[in-house]
Amino acid sequence: MLNAIQFSSFSEFLNMGGYAFNVWSVYGLFTIFLGANLLVPMFKKKQILKDLKRRRVVNKNARPEINE
Amino acid sequence: MWLWFSKLGSPKWFYELSGRWLPWLVAAMFAFLFVGVVWALLFVPQDYQQGLTNRIFYVHVPVASISLAFFPLMAIAGTITLVWKMKLADIVVKTAAPLGAWFTAFALASGSIWGIDTWGTWWIWDGRLTSLLFQFFLLIGVVSLRSALEDSDAAAKACALLSIVGCINVVVIKYSVDWWNTLHQPGTDFVLSSNKANGPDIWVPLVLMIGAVYLFFAVSMIMSTRNEILERERRSQWVEELVDNL
Repeated sequence: MLNAIQFSSFSEFLNMGGYAFNVWSVYGLFTIFLGANLLVPMFKKKQILKDLKRRRVVNKNARPEINE
Repeated sequence: MWLWFSKLGSPKWFYELSGRWLPWLVAAMFAFLFVGVVWALLFVPQDYQQGLTNRIFYVHVPVASISLAFFPLMAIAGTITLVWKMKLADIVVKTAAPLGAWFTAFALASGSIWGIDTWGTWWIWDGRLTSLLFQFFLLIGVVSLRSALEDSDAAAKACALLSIVGCINVVVIKYSVDWWNTLHQPGTDFVLSSNKANGPDIWVPLVLMIGAVYLFFAVSMIMSTRNEILERERRSQWVEELVDNL
């Protein structure tokens, strides 16, 4: 089922049988597509938690009675 | 069953459960991606007509086929929003739309780049391409509809309705290759025997990539759903406690 590696050298692999532009630009876009949709929510979560934490501290200092 | 259903709608319950699942889903996603991409790029034999552009197949097909799942998903969640007003369902409608637009855009872009050499053109107003482009605009429409409506209840209802109507287009996309047979090839049935042209050495890496893209879809959806929960539930006690413990 698993065939041998289809390329005999690294430059042959990069060349992709003359279709280097098509193959590598699609895989490049694929990386951007996955990366963006994983990293953006990750950073957004950090941002939200930081923001909530800041508000919470401000609220507590403004109204110390809620600590009790 | 009903207890489970009402629990699932609780943002707190979902937040806690998904927090436990997320690391495993991320690990599985990277494992599938790694094996799938290496197999597709290095080991799959080249196509007798398209040469090595068949590498594009392994990312184009999973993303394009999963892009059709967004409207049905949003329609189910939208129906739950309309009927039971479940909080979590509307969050799913909201977070699915932009991710669906990304999926559709990537399917269109990768198909175009593939077409440059295999079809001799990057664009043609073929049934499949046109209906998929329409899906992209519909998803952008769902995203902008929500930001255009101030009242969040009205926005939830409008987006739910548009999601249900948008499912009609999914049927058109699915059968477009049979109704108008122009450039995009029709669907293919895969065979088990390995001496056939499309045997396991072609489709096993495809199955791995479909698994990888589905896992990515789940991971990204869960992450943005959790963010949306934190924002909407910021005044609830459990979020305040969670923030206090940071």
